[in-house]
Amino acid sequence: MRQPDGSSALLTTKLAAMLAWARKNSLWPLPFGTACCAIEFMSTVSSHYDLARFGAEVVRFSPRQSDMMIVAGTITDKMAPVVKRIYDQMAEPKYVVSMGACACTGGFYRAYHVVQGVDEFIPVDVYVPGCPPTPEALMEGIFKLQELIQSGETQYDRLKA
Amino acid sequence: MTVSKPEIAAPNPLAKFLPGHEELSVTTAADGFTEITADRSRVIEVLRALRDRPELDCNLLLDVCGVDYPENERRFEVVYHLTSLDKGHRVRVRVPVDEDDPRVPTAYGIWKAADWFERETWDLMGIRFDGHPNLRRILTHEAFQGHALRKDYDPEKRWVLTEAETFVPDWVTEPDDEDQFETQIINIGPSHPATHGTLRIVARLDGEVITRAECEIGYLHRCFEKMSETHGWNEVIPYTDRLNYCSSMINGVGYALGVEQMLGIEAPPRAQVVRVILSEFSRIMDHAVCLGATLVDVGALTNFWYFFQPREEIYTLLESCAGGRLTVSYARIGGLAHEVPADFEEQVRYLLGYIPKFVDDVDKLVTTNSIFRGRTEGVGALSAEEALAWGWTGPCLRACGVPYDLRRARPYLGYENYEFDVPVASTGDCYARYLVRMEEMRQSLRIIEQAINNLPDGPVITDDHHVALPPKPKVYSEMESLIWHFKLIYDGIKVPAGSAYSATEGANGELGYYLVSDGTGKPYRIKVRPPCFAIFQAYSHMLEGHLVPDAIAILSSLNIIAGELDR
Amino acid sequence: MRPVTTVNVDRPQRGFGEWIYFGPIFKGMMVTLRHFLRNFFGQRDVATIQYPEEVRQYSERMRGRHILTTRDDGSLRCVACYMCETACPADCITIVAEEDPEATVEWEKLPVSFEIDLLRCVFCGFCVDACPKQALVMSRQHEMVFTTRDEAVFGIDELKQKGPIEDEDLGYRPYY
Repeated sequence: MRQPDGSSALLTTKLAAMLAWARKNSLWPLPFGTACCAIEFMSTVSSHYDLARFGAEVVRFSPRQSDMMIVAGTITDKMAPVVKRIYDQMAEPKYVVSMGACACTGGFYRAYHVVQGVDEFIPVDVYVPGCPPTPEALMEGIFKLQELIQSGETQYDRLKA
Repeated sequence: MTVSKPEIAAPNPLAKFLPGHEELSVTTAADGFTEITADRSRVIEVLRALRDRPELDCNLLLDVCGVDYPENERRFEVVYHLTSLDKGHRVRVRVPVDEDDPRVPTAYGIWKAADWFERETWDLMGIRFDGHPNLRRILTHEAFQGHALRKDYDPEKRWVLTEAETFVPDWVTEPDDEDQFETQIINIGPSHPATHGTLRIVARLDGEVITRAECEIGYLHRCFEKMSETHGWNEVIPYTDRLNYCSSMINGVGYALGVEQMLGIEAPPRAQVVRVILSEFSRIMDHAVCLGATLVDVGALTNFWYFFQPREEIYTLLESCAGGRLTVSYARIGGLAHEVPADFEEQVRYLLGYIPKFVDDVDKLVTTNSIFRGRTEGVGALSAEEALAWGWTGPCLRACGVPYDLRRARPYLGYENYEFDVPVASTGDCYARYLVRMEEMRQSLRIIEQAINNLPDGPVITDDHHVALPPKPKVYSEMESLIWHFKLIYDGIKVPAGSAYSATEGANGELGYYLVSDGTGKPYRIKVRPPCFAIFQAYSHMLEGHLVPDAIAILSSLNIIAGELDR
Repeated sequence: MRPVTTVNVDRPQRGFGEWIYFGPIFKGMMVTLRHFLRNFFGQRDVATIQYPEEVRQYSERMRGRHILTTRDDGSLRCVACYMCETACPADCITIVAEEDPEATVEWEKLPVSFEIDLLRCVFCGFCVDACPKQALVMSRQHEMVFTTRDEAVFGIDELKQKGPIEDEDLGYRPYY
């Protein structure tokens, strides 16, 4: 809530910070895994790397029950309406991590059926390069997203403001 | 470019069994196939004879594809690849087709395997198959216009699909019977909790029982075949890694073997043995993911974690050899990209001791488990004749009782020197497929042990510089090597004009590459024969009468990898 | 060709012991309990790598971010021959060349701009294989994250070797 002079009230900034802290430490992912990056995502949630240590405990494939969509893998023109629909079905606040070269820019598939980057139709917060990105790179991507949530600079915050 | 000329002039021994063989052209091709060129008016007669004559006995249709030769008088060519499991021979039938009337009678009545292969040829090449029950686009989407693999189609021309244009089958709206208020149409996928890739099944449910289903694929069609036409022969290797991404080494090795066959060279012995070792590790990895995901889908999550641990350790080995964990790009035409690291043998022996522990753990947890047996025994059973008619190969076919393994039937990479058994089961249901895959992992470990005990010394890539890059110290110092280097990078490998089909035993079955070259540095046409494609086309017919959870169990036991299915 | 030796993996019908389910329960619990106790009491041997405090040691062939190497005087080794741009399957390298004003017989061109779009790059290493001057190598830095697509286009300043070559965390390179 903003005061007349533009600054935020103390209680609401503390509240916003606390909400941001809670949200960033309990990001439930929706792995929209289509291709090879989905296998690296599976490695990230497996014993060796264990994404659950950062709050991503509940890996749900349902958009209603998650707040972070990790687009892992190539999105084709046939799949694009499905991605858009799943994104729309997610409850706010929602964040998108684009994992891998294909989801970020289309990768080396400059072709007739491949979407050249999932940001053609959904807003992306974090881009993670690699083909596929190592699990450490994906975790760095999630740390970056946590930073963005804490500072209030995600795409969702921009759309809301 | 004309139809490939036969290199061997001796008369083919199978010719006399074909009806009217005096008018047909029957030759033996350079890759060992019996090649028959027939006109479309005679093709059904020839195909039927190939299946029915006991001397020919071609019971497995491997592939149907189209090739576009715009400079030829008859623009298209439909190519059928067939094999006989018992007699061992392989047959290719070529049917030239005109541009203004691209129609060929369907082979669906002879082998059901032709179903989706012909749909794909229609989709990507524009050749109609008369009499096909369901000739619609399969890999590209509903709003796509044009035929993508034709030579005059711009590789980057895209068409946008809106949600309103998404495909809905016709039978969805037609009434099932009088009390059709009881049935319900649902979509299983393409975004679904089963961890097996982007597929869509439109199912009519009567309560929880599926009465009718239809599958839609193509959600991961990444245009591998078109991309291979715009990149050089070696540059296709990163693309092959992403076909069956769970076992990426096998795809690269299969492709390199095909090109090496066309070039007439062989990789050095050390490269062959290392290829065997890494391919078998990739096979173990693929089975680990398949079984892990199957068990997750039926509700047993622990085994997923247990299987991913050996997978991570194999990643360490692959990463120390090639630099990449999952998509290795380690194979090159002529051998391997570079020498294996110094501790290769140590790592392999460590893995040989490490992996069996996890396989045994999962075995103890699952194999005698009453719940698992109840979920998977009798579910998704298919008889051997049905499976062969649908074009099945690999562990799914071996679970039906047919002991067909390319590593034994048509050995490559020196597999004839290794002792291993081929696991078969007799029931053909999900439980049988699980058992076959578990045993295959153990047999792969046997092969690796024999291979690492006999690892020869020597180079890992051929020294023919028409094919392989010269070693870097020479490139920096000698002029001649520098020139070879420049020519190989700029012009690419010049593969002699012609065509060849080469197949290897992938983790899911027979992974075949039909390669067509026109003598330049880029492939003219590459057709991948994906094992999952033939297996998945039977799926919608297997579903009738099963429950929805059974559908998920069957789907995961078939091991459908979307990267390979859709290319 | 060897004859095909098969092993039949069929299992017998479910016996009473299996049907009643207590035996397999017990056997399975033993397996999971063994894993649990081993992890509980042997914390050091647990498979999990506690990233970011603990970092997995990748091999010296790891394909990560590219590095443009320099000669002793600090100038780039690259002669803008376009081999890497030709070899790249993703077409993510863009080079603009110009005449080198201090040309001697050995080299004549240098790159005015050398950009790699890291979000297109598939990290296959073909560019490193193609370079005839060892001007392009790869490091082991693989944890890169961007918030916009433009941030990911690295030019000469970001790719250039920063200090002595021994200090860089080198990965995939022509020979070791």
